Parts: sequence; C-alpha cells; structure tokens
Amino acid sequence: MTTLTDTGTTASARTPRQVPVSVRRSRLRGAILRHGGLILFGLFMLYPLIWMAVSAFKPSHLVLTDPGIIPTELTLENFVNGWVVGGFPFWVFFGNSLVVAVSAIAGNLFSCSLAAFALARLDFRARNVYFAIVLVSVMLPMHAVIIPQYIVFSNLDLVNTFVPLILPKFLATDAFFVFLMVQFIRGIPRTLDEAAWIDGAGPFRTFWYVILPLMKPALITTTIFTFIWTWNDFFGQLIYLTDSTVFTVPIALNALVDSQSNQGTGTLMAMSLLSLVPILLFFAFAQKYLIRGIATTGLK
Amino acid sequence: MTLAKSAPPAQVAAPDPPPAPVGAGKGRGRRRQTAAAHVFLAPWLIGLVVITALPMLASLVLSFTDYNILSTPRFVGLANFERLLEDPRFWQSAKVTGIYVLVSVPLQLGFALLLALILDKGLRGLAIYRSAYYLPSLLGGSVAVAVLWKQIFGYDGLVNQGLAMIGIQGSNWLQNPDTALGTLIILNAWTFGSPMVIFLAGLRQIPEELYEAARVDGAGWARQFANITIPLLTPIIFFNLILQTIGAFQAFTQAHVVSGGTGGPVDSTLFYTLYIYQQAFVNFDMGYAAALAWVLLLVIAVITALHFTLSKYWVFYGD
Amino acid sequence: MRSMSRRSLLAGAGALAGAGALTACGGVAGGSGGGAGGSGGLRYAFWGNNVRQTNYQKAFDLMAEENPELALKVEFADYEAFQERMTTQMAAGNVADIFWVPSPQVMTYYSNGLYRPLAEIDTLDLSDYTDADLQDFLLDGEHNTMPFGIFVPVVRHNATFAEEAGLDQIVTGDWKQFAELMKDYSAETEGRFGTAYSADADLPFEGWLRQHGEQLWTEDGKIGYSQEGLEAWIEYWEDLRTSGATPEIGQQDGVTASWEDAGDLCLTWFGNSNHIVDDATFFPDYDFALEHLPVASEAEEGHQFLYFPRMAIYKETSEEKASLAGEVLSFCTANVETQKLTGLTMGAPVNPRVTEEYREFATEDETSMLDVVTVDREVDRRPRYEAPPGSNTWRQVMVRVLEEITLGSSTISEGAASMIDEVSRGIERAAG
Repeated sequence: MTTLTDTGTTASARTPRQVPVSVRRSRLRGAILRHGGLILFGLFMLYPLIWMAVSAFKPSHLVLTDPGIIPTELTLENFVNGWVVGGFPFWVFFGNSLVVAVSAIAGNLFSCSLAAFALARLDFRARNVYFAIVLVSVMLPMHAVIIPQYIVFSNLDLVNTFVPLILPKFLATDAFFVFLMVQFIRGIPRTLDEAAWIDGAGPFRTFWYVILPLMKPALITTTIFTFIWTWNDFFGQLIYLTDSTVFTVPIALNALVDSQSNQGTGTLMAMSLLSLVPILLFFAFAQKYLIRGIATTGLK
Repeated sequence: MTLAKSAPPAQVAAPDPPPAPVGAGKGRGRRRQTAAAHVFLAPWLIGLVVITALPMLASLVLSFTDYNILSTPRFVGLANFERLLEDPRFWQSAKVTGIYVLVSVPLQLGFALLLALILDKGLRGLAIYRSAYYLPSLLGGSVAVAVLWKQIFGYDGLVNQGLAMIGIQGSNWLQNPDTALGTLIILNAWTFGSPMVIFLAGLRQIPEELYEAARVDGAGWARQFANITIPLLTPIIFFNLILQTIGAFQAFTQAHVVSGGTGGPVDSTLFYTLYIYQQAFVNFDMGYAAALAWVLLLVIAVITALHFTLSKYWVFYGD
Repeated sequence: MRSMSRRSLLAGAGALAGAGALTACGGVAGGSGGGAGGSGGLRYAFWGNNVRQTNYQKAFDLMAEENPELALKVEFADYEAFQERMTTQMAAGNVADIFWVPSPQVMTYYSNGLYRPLAEIDTLDLSDYTDADLQDFLLDGEHNTMPFGIFVPVVRHNATFAEEAGLDQIVTGDWKQFAELMKDYSAETEGRFGTAYSADADLPFEGWLRQHGEQLWTEDGKIGYSQEGLEAWIEYWEDLRTSGATPEIGQQDGVTASWEDAGDLCLTWFGNSNHIVDDATFFPDYDFALEHLPVASEAEEGHQFLYFPRMAIYKETSEEKASLAGEVLSFCTANVETQKLTGLTMGAPVNPRVTEEYREFATEDETSMLDVVTVDREVDRRPRYEAPPGSNTWRQVMVRVLEEITLGSSTISEGAASMIDEVSRGIERAAG
C-alpha cells in the first residue's frame, strides 16, 4: 500500500482534446439519458410532495373536494390559520423540536460511539452477550415497552419536559446507531490500531485519535438520522408532552386536523410543508460533510 | 512496524472470525481491556438497566398476566400464548407482515442500491438529486402521508387518472383488500432515501485507489463492480438488510396512518405491530399485547440470527 | 470549516447538550416546567382540531378573567392521539383533572373507577335541568359524568340538489318509502346518488333498532339486538347499494362514507346532528337541511333518544381541585357566552335555557340542528343505555363485517353472526 499516496495522474486518463468526437457524442447522449431518467424518476418520486405544496396554497375546503394538481384558487390562508396552534406561534414548535433533536444528536454521538468502540474493538468476555443484547433491544416493538417507560418517568415527575426524550439518547438507547457504528468500525483496518498500540496508546487514546476521526461517515450518518427521526417522532413526544408550550412539530401538526372531521386539511398541508424545510436544509447541509468526511478516510 | 497487507481486492475473502483485537494478550492485557470496555460501555449499561431492561422485563412478566391497565395484573400463565395460536387476526397479521417483509425490503433496498450507485459517480447536480430522492423519507410517519397516499391511490387518484387515459377504469386501490397492502409496500419503497444515504456513505468508503489499481490491470466497469464494489460494500448491505428487515417487521406508522388505525379493509393491512397497538391501546388488553410483542421479538431474533449465520458466507469485513 | 476537528466537535456537542439541558424543562417558549402532579391550574384534556382548540381557548380565557382560580392547563390532541395519551396516563395514574370521555370508553372508564361522583360537588350548577333530564345523565344509577352536548341521528339533505329535483321534504314516510325515493333519484339523476352507504352509522343504527322494538345495549350490559334485527338493517343497505342508489364502496372511500369524496354526489347523508356544522364548510356553494330519520310504521312511541358526549372529573383529584372543576363544568354548560365562543361542533347545548338563549346567535345550519334536537328532547323517551365495558371496538368490528359483506366474501347472516359473536366475547372477557 506504500505506493498509494503518490498515484498522481493515472496514465490511462486522456486529455479532453484527445477524445474522439464519436466518444464525446455518445458520452453526451449517455449524460442526457442519465439526467433525463433521473429527473423523470425524481418527478415521479416527488409527485406527492408537489401535490402537498400545491394544496398548501388552496383554500382549505377545496383541498379534499377538488384535489386536482392544478389549483383553481390560490390563497395564503392555510399558513395564516395554521401558524398558531394551542395559542402559540409555530416557530415555538420549531424551536422545541430543534432543542430535542440537537440534544438527541449530542447524546447519540457521545454514547453510541463509546459503546460501539468497546463492542467492535475491545476484547472482553461479555462482548458477544452485550452485542446480542444491543440487537435484541432494537427488535422489541416500541408499544410493548412504552407504557412501563412512561410510568418510570411519570413517577419521577418528569412528564411534560423534554427529559424523557433526551436522557435516553445519552444512554445509548438508540441501539440502531450502536449497531451502525460497530459495522463501520469493523470496516476500518486494524493496521492503525496496531500502530498506535505499538506506540504505547491505550484504548482511550486509540478511540480518540485513531478510530473517531475515521468514523466520520458513521458519525455524520448518525447525526442526519437522529435529527430526522427526532424531528418526526410522534408517539413518544405525544405521550410525554401535554402543554402547548412544549409541543414539538409533529404534535402541533397532529392538533391541526381531527380524525373525526377532516376540516383544516389545508392547514395540515401548509404546516407540513413548512416543517419539511428545516430537515431538508439540515440534510442538504450535512450531506456535504458526508462526502468531506469520507474523503479524508485515507490510510495515512 | 508491522503493516498488514491489504487484502487483494479481486478475491472475496470469506470473513474471518473476529480477529484478536489490538492490545489484547493474556493476563494483564486482557483484564485491562475488560475494565476499559466497561468504562466505554457505562452510559449504555446505565441506560440498559434503567430505561430498557426494566420495561422489557416488565413487559415479559405482563405477557403471562391478564392486565387491563386500570386494575392489577392477574397471573394467567400461558393463557395469552394459547389464545394467540387460535386467534385468526393474529395469523392474519402475521401473514400481512410476512408478505410485507418479503416484498418491500428487497424492493426498497434494490432501489436504494441502484440509486446510490448511479449517484455515486461524479454527476452534476448530485446534491440536488440526492436531496430530492431523500425528501420522501422525511415525510415518513407524518399524518400528511394518509392524505397524500389517497391522492395517488384513491378512487380519483393519480393512478386511476393515468389508467383512465388508456381506457382502464381503476378501482380504489386503498379500499381493495387485494391491493391495499401493495400501496403500503410501495410507500416503503418510496422512502428508500435512508438506506440510500447509508449505501452512499459505504460506497465512499471504498478507496479510489483500488479502482485505479484495477483499471491499471485492465479491468472494465463490470469487473470493477463485481470484484471491488460489491465485496467491499457487503458489510453495509448486510447492515441495511438487517435493519430494514427489523424495521419492516416493526412497521407501524404507515399502516396506522393510511388505514386510519384499523388495518383495513378487512385486516388486509393489519401489520403485526398495529395489532399489538390495537390490543394495548384500544382493547386495553396489555397482557395479550405483551405476549404478542414477545412472539414478534422471538421471530425477529431467529431471523436475525439466521442472517448473521449466513453472513459468514457473503459478507467481507476489512478487519 | 475544512474539517471538523474532534475538539470542536466535542465542544459543539457539549454546548448543545448544555443548551438542551437548560431548555429541557421548559421548551423554547419558557413553558410551565412543572411535572404532571405539580402545582398550577386545573388540567383539562380534550380533543378536536385547531379551530376547536382556538375557540375553546377563548372560552377558557373568558372564564379565567372572571375567576383567576379557574385558569386551565389545557391538554389537547386529535381524537385518536387523545385516547393514546389517556391510556398511558391511566396506566401511570396521571390523568387530567377534567377530561372528555370518548364515547366507546364511557363504561370502561366507569368500571375502572376513573370518575369522581358529581353528586358531592356542589359547585356544579344543575338548576336548569328537569328531573327527567337528570335521569338521562345517570350512568348505572349514578351521576358521575357531565354531558355537555346533545346529538341525535338525522338525515341531512342537500337543499340545492333537492330544489333541482323539485323536492321539498325528503323524509316523508317510512323506511320503505325512503328507499324508493333514493332509488328513483339515483336512476333519474345522472352521476348522482340518493344517499351514501351508511350501514356503519352508529346513531342511525340505534335509531332503527329502537324503532323496531330493540335497542343497542341492554340495561345489564349486553347486546340489545338480535341477529334478525341486525340482518334487517344490513339488508336494507345492501338493497340500496346493489340497486345503485348508493355510490360504490370504492367511490365513497370505504364502508364509512367519506364526506369530502361523496358529499357532492349524494342527495342525502345519514349522520349525527352536529356534523352539519363542520361538513357544510366543505361545500360552501350548497345549502343543507336536517330532518329526522324515517319512522318505521311499527315504531312504538318513545323510540327517540338523545346521545350525550360527556366529560368527567378524575377520581384522584384533590377535594379543592374537584370543587374548582365543578365550577369549570358549570361554566362550560350553563353559560351562553361560552357556547357562543365554542360554537356547536359538539352538538346542541345540553342546558335547555342556554339553548334558547343561543338561538339568537345561531347560524342557519346551527338553527336547523337546534330545531331537530329540541323536537327529540321534548318527546317522552324510553331509556337508553351506554356501551358496556369490553365493547368499545364494536364499531370497528361492524365496519370489518360490512367490508366482508360488501366484498362478497361473507353473507349477511354470516357477517351478522360473527359481529354479535365477537362483540359478546369482548364483553365477556371484560366482565370475567
């Protein structure tokens, strides 16, 4: 592998001027086909969202009774009507969701990376048992444990706060990410671990200086997914948060339309659209780091 | 200074058993790792005991009781499990979930892998495509999905409008028990953005140098794909497979939202977790719900163990 | 940032966690912070949509102005989510002080001791009710829930369509004549139907049963109808469906007809009296009118009934809070100002005096609802009993059975038998 760092320009690439016209034309045709296909597929994928965006601007009573994609009337009333829920403006709910999501990210990054390192790199007798437990805790359906968990927090008088939603993240209860990080770490060759060990580094220094930097893709992925899942988590937030002041986005959206009457669907479309914007921005921003992070995964 | 040789990319090595971790030895070295490991695992252990294990144990105990939330649980032994075996809705929900897992997981992963491969090349507007394909996953379990899905598959929905253009009268796909599950499978496939992102991350982890070395050796695109991409991607494929399978077994929100919590029509979309939810939250039959949950866990555990055993034959780890 | 150094990553994470911890208790808006059992106002839990929440909040603000002790901590969600939250709160012994009771759960909550007896609460103002009224409020002989609205089953018709067809009143005779009219209308009017398939409409179903000498539930908590009775009802609807008088099931989006999809296709619509208030907003170009159900020729007197949505006070509330809760209940039911702010989405006011006072401010749709309800109110009615514990899924069971029947995978008698069987088993399991 010692020659890897000085690859320079590979001999096989030709400068553009030397590429014959026929090849260029077929490359162009290929590019058009590829982009065309991707765009068409993209439109197909996004049709429901386009419909949602259009409906957000339709008068609320027309959203369901006149569901065509070309609107006959346009209005901003859904945004106006849906902005205040339970007496609070929607930015409060964005703020609350943000607090919960960001704290959850911090918690997951902290606790899951530690646990994953131990499970993937350290040798101790209970390792396989613990790993099995991690997997099993991913497998149990939420509804079976949610009531006992609620009782625990209720007895601690912590309902109607964000603590039940955030504290578990600092305790690696999102076993999904532990598993994800274990898999990523296992993909990192042990050469560097060995090098570090020979240099006298113990497990902590190996974790901090060797593994953690190389784990960036897994960390970024964890960040992205934690953000999105927390932002969209409905059930957990529903049962713990009762006061409108601490409502998060999914709860606020739920309170817009009653399953009994379907009135106000327009406001639901409008506010759902708005609430997509932060996650989309977050994703667009974070995915850059997904690339960057990986680009520095050299075996240096 | 020992530097392990890189595994020749052209061969798919059978994954070794977990190699001796760095720094492990006999005696003092091994003990040091145990102590260190437990320090690393401390948050997880605390969380396990306080937040995960106790409720899990509670639900296990409840599965042997008759408990309706408001009065004290009453021990009934295996009655819940016996009842389960004779419950036609249990078998229906098992069937529905089974079909859902078998069809939607490969479908979703297939799309995810395909798109990840296409988008991995240096494409112009890559970030836009990536975000666009990821967007549906963001809607996930949103209440709005029910409305949107009706707009596609309902009586006057997009699909039927399209069919009408070629002269076919479509039915209400959501209300037809033969097709209702299909709409949910499509919903799952529609949200392939999450596994796609993970595949992209995995693809990026494959060193470019390997491809260049192969090109120098004269390997074409297909051979590079077969001998570099796929083998090195197998840990990620395996990861996605496990998690999407577990996720599909536990799928709840889609069915709950689209069918209005009923699993209808005629229980054709009664996902197993939806049935658990109905027993727990509608019928207040918590003991039975807990029994159902543990049966599911056992099934998932068996299937996951199977995956892991089989993985020795096709997953290639770098370590 | 060319690369996130580990240190900055950790610093960032730490800062975030810190910020998270600080706001963990109160949220961005600096909310109440206190836990469930903490100090602060009375907790009032109810359901609906955003419009309802806003309107009720105005009413609560009015109440708090007059008496600051009655400032409420509101716990709001949509109907389904409300019940999910209630379930976890019940398990933890953490229910709100005042809560609305979802109709399928009335007796279930009762049998589990969730309600505080209202007889001991002297702040509850019951002066406007007759003895007969108060009898109606009792559950199992006790006054432990407070009704706050009245629904009756109605047939709503589209007045605009009716005018086009030269019809004035739609319900002029008994069920047979009604069916004839439905079939004629569907045959003669292109693209429209007489009515939607409504075999799952619970209040009209109960109305039918009572007219035919049966009932929905008996006094001792069992199913009040026979297999034949149930079959007759389903046959009526199957007849209408197969003769084209109702839209196809797919067209109305399921056995439970969807107003948004089929409302502009049907001349009439079976439902509850309060639905007109919300439903009319979907088709602002049409006028609607309410009429009573057709009356079977063999119907005996007293078949009418009133259905009450109820609210209750939690058994475990403190004495002091219960007393305040009584005042809140009075304010909600005995005050026309409250009613003006909340509107009539939860039915006609249960208080007869308030009803009369409200007429001055009622819209046209609300007036037609009040008229229909008042008629039924003033008739001598046979008693009616609530759904027993363990029967709370009876409507879902009925919908499932109807789906099987309309799809042809089961006959009407098989379906009726299986529905009665399943509901009975649920009741037995809850009692055992």
